[in-house]
Amino acid sequence: MTDSTLLLLQAAADTTHAYGEFPVIGARAFIWITAEVHLMFAAFVLGVPMFAVVTEAIGIFGGDERYDRLSKEFTRLLLVAYSATAIWGAMLVFGLSTLYPRFWAYLTSIFAPSMWLYAALFFVESFTLYLYYYGWDRWKEGRAKLGHWTLGILLNVWGTIVMFIANAWLTYMMSPPRDITPTTDPTTIKLWHAIANATWMPINVHRVIANVVFGGAIVGAYASYRFLAARTEEERAHYDWMGYVGNFIAMSALIVLPFAGYWLGREIYQYDQSMGITMMGGFMSWLWVIQAFLIAVLFLTGNYYLWIGMGRIPGAERFRPYTKYLLIVLVLGAIVWGTPHTMIADSKELAAMGGSHHPFLGALGVMSAKNTAVNLMILTTFLSFLLYRRANTRPVVPWARAGTIIQGAMFAVAAGVVLFYGIRGYFVEAIVRIGFSVYQVLAVLSCIVFVTVIDILMARGAQSLGAIRWGRMPPRSQYALFILAVTFTWLMGLMGFARSGIRQYWHVWQVMQDTSKYAATPALGYASKMISLCVLIFLSLVAFVFWLGGLAEKSTFVATGESEKGARHVGH
Amino acid sequence: MWATNAKIVGIVLGTLALYTLIANKIPQVQSEVPQALSLGANVTPEQLVAAGEKVYTGIGGCTTCHGLGERAPNLLTDEKGQGTIGARCGKREPGKTCKQYLYESLDNPTAYVVSGYQPIMPVMTKQLSPAQVWSVIAFLESQGGTVDVSASDIPAASAAPAASAAPAGAGGGLAGGSTDPQAIIQAAGCLACHKLDGQGQVIAPDLTHVGSRRDAESIRRKILDPASSVTKGYEKLAGIMPKMFGTMMNAAQLEALVHYLAAHK
Repeated sequence: MTDSTLLLLQAAADTTHAYGEFPVIGARAFIWITAEVHLMFAAFVLGVPMFAVVTEAIGIFGGDERYDRLSKEFTRLLLVAYSATAIWGAMLVFGLSTLYPRFWAYLTSIFAPSMWLYAALFFVESFTLYLYYYGWDRWKEGRAKLGHWTLGILLNVWGTIVMFIANAWLTYMMSPPRDITPTTDPTTIKLWHAIANATWMPINVHRVIANVVFGGAIVGAYASYRFLAARTEEERAHYDWMGYVGNFIAMSALIVLPFAGYWLGREIYQYDQSMGITMMGGFMSWLWVIQAFLIAVLFLTGNYYLWIGMGRIPGAERFRPYTKYLLIVLVLGAIVWGTPHTMIADSKELAAMGGSHHPFLGALGVMSAKNTAVNLMILTTFLSFLLYRRANTRPVVPWARAGTIIQGAMFAVAAGVVLFYGIRGYFVEAIVRIGFSVYQVLAVLSCIVFVTVIDILMARGAQSLGAIRWGRMPPRSQYALFILAVTFTWLMGLMGFARSGIRQYWHVWQVMQDTSKYAATPALGYASKMISLCVLIFLSLVAFVFWLGGLAEKSTFVATGESEKGARHVGH
Repeated sequence: MWATNAKIVGIVLGTLALYTLIANKIPQVQSEVPQALSLGANVTPEQLVAAGEKVYTGIGGCTTCHGLGERAPNLLTDEKGQGTIGARCGKREPGKTCKQYLYESLDNPTAYVVSGYQPIMPVMTKQLSPAQVWSVIAFLESQGGTVDVSASDIPAASAAPAASAAPAGAGGGLAGGSTDPQAIIQAAGCLACHKLDGQGQVIAPDLTHVGSRRDAESIRRKILDPASSVTKGYEKLAGIMPKMFGTMMNAAQLEALVHYLAAHK
């Protein structure tokens, strides 16, 4: 145990109060806001480097300089965002140490060594970022460029480790190892034992993917703002393209996010079934209806953006008639996913409903129906991307017709597997039914992988039906990107509340009880106001960061000639 | 550009307002901190019912099984055409009134098991105070029946807050902190499901020779994390053993119990 830990423990023991108070808004609201806004900035500074290093790689290996410039443009924004992340992180630490000193002393007595490592890695990460950004123009050719790209990879590695460390602290609060009890002396708990708790790795994986989604969405919002403010066709074309790339990355990562979420949920159930029931069927049950609504907005808006985008692609009119069918599947899927099922209800509500489940809708609210719905929505969104991708090309390989038929058959088989197990799930026991979701997920993922591989092979030497007319997008398409960014951010806040709220009146689940006046977990109405406030603070600050970025340097849009040169294969 | 900025701000604020509005329109449920129940001698049936509903949906954990429609009978809704629990409780066992039947269900749940369900219900009188038990009975009676529970049903001792109803982690441990394994087993209600030395139920694995199939470490882990392993032949009951025993005991009690059981070769 370090001296600093001993000092903290001593301070905690000496104080007569385990809790402090913050003026006007209270201690809990202060911690809520600082933690959430810090987390949003952290997601931004972790997600955007992933975005940057991928786009830089496309620039290097694809020979399209626009991607390299796009990557640099976003790395510039990171410089200011890092400061904001650190400031909010410092506010959170000060808040915890002054408002929740007993809990903070407990946490530091277990995790102190990892906290020092965290600080050291943050330092290394910051300097890697400076090297990455300021070395951009100096190391732009040959091996030096590869070395520069390696810096970008390192930036992601440091950032990911930093996130994993912080995740260990918060997941320990959720799922401390079962041999740790309220009487366990925290100084005797082995660091790795506390880190490698039941929900640590599922949260790690979930957050890595979610950060990619978030980074893509914020990039999309930035691009849409610059598009709307553009004064020239070239500038508009550049930011239209950037918005497409951001949305593509966000939606691609979103497709796999539910699978990571499912894993996390399963681990929570396995760790403590009562916690799982609290989360899905207890006082938080209505939260998932709101989540379903938000996911529906994301799927519908993301697809809407793609469908509008097809208007600027010559040849896309061939596929336009199909969009209404895609829309029907998405809407029906969203309705099923949002169907309430196991809800906390009083006797009057139960009587009004005619039972613990609605006689008709209850059948749609079970996991068999919901898993089927979400898998079909994912397949539909993938089909939208596929149509978008093929819009201005006509394959010329001899096996093109056969390839398209095989692709269609793969979609049909995947949808068939999803529907088969969805229906069969009603006739088997719960433990068997849970296993069915694995087959559904595998069918959808296999379809996505194999259809994409076939499509890439089929696109070789494909006949172009005309270049994409970047910039020819109505303003409503750009507002859709804003809605996506706001919704992603709000969803992040909502899921943060779900993850943290299932601990209820425990700082550390069944180990350290919250005895403050804020121990009760608030209802969703109050939580939603807090989430909206956090999102507003974050987006306002991000807007300021973007504005600063614009002041520092001119945008990196390219001239018409370069735009046309790169246009044909963008999105292909 | 100002018009565009205004539109963007409008869209952002409008989207946030929409989500906030929807979240405020749905039923609002706050997770309260469980409180020890204290009822006076003049408690009314209405107060008992209100207190019972809180226990039922809160610390009692009843909704974990009752209400999901698969593990245990639905109590607040019609069950196979027999009405809600208040309407059907008096017809379950011949010669037993509704109140007697409900108390028996909480005190000795294996005495009568509803057809089609497994005998998995724990002994609730071991986990809840008498005041909490009787308030739950009053609440269940109110679901389609007549509430005849009164203060006279509740032992005088129950007027004081029950130690067992306090949230885990409050310290002290079961049985007043005693390290006598048999006192711990009695207080925790282990024999409601397990058999040990000829006593107790056979719902869960017999513990008489548990030391021959599990070492001390395995027993400790099983108590602290019941889901960590399942005894062969009891797979269908996986997840039934309550998780809170580890937090109800202090460390000395846990070790005393572990070594006591490990010695049962």
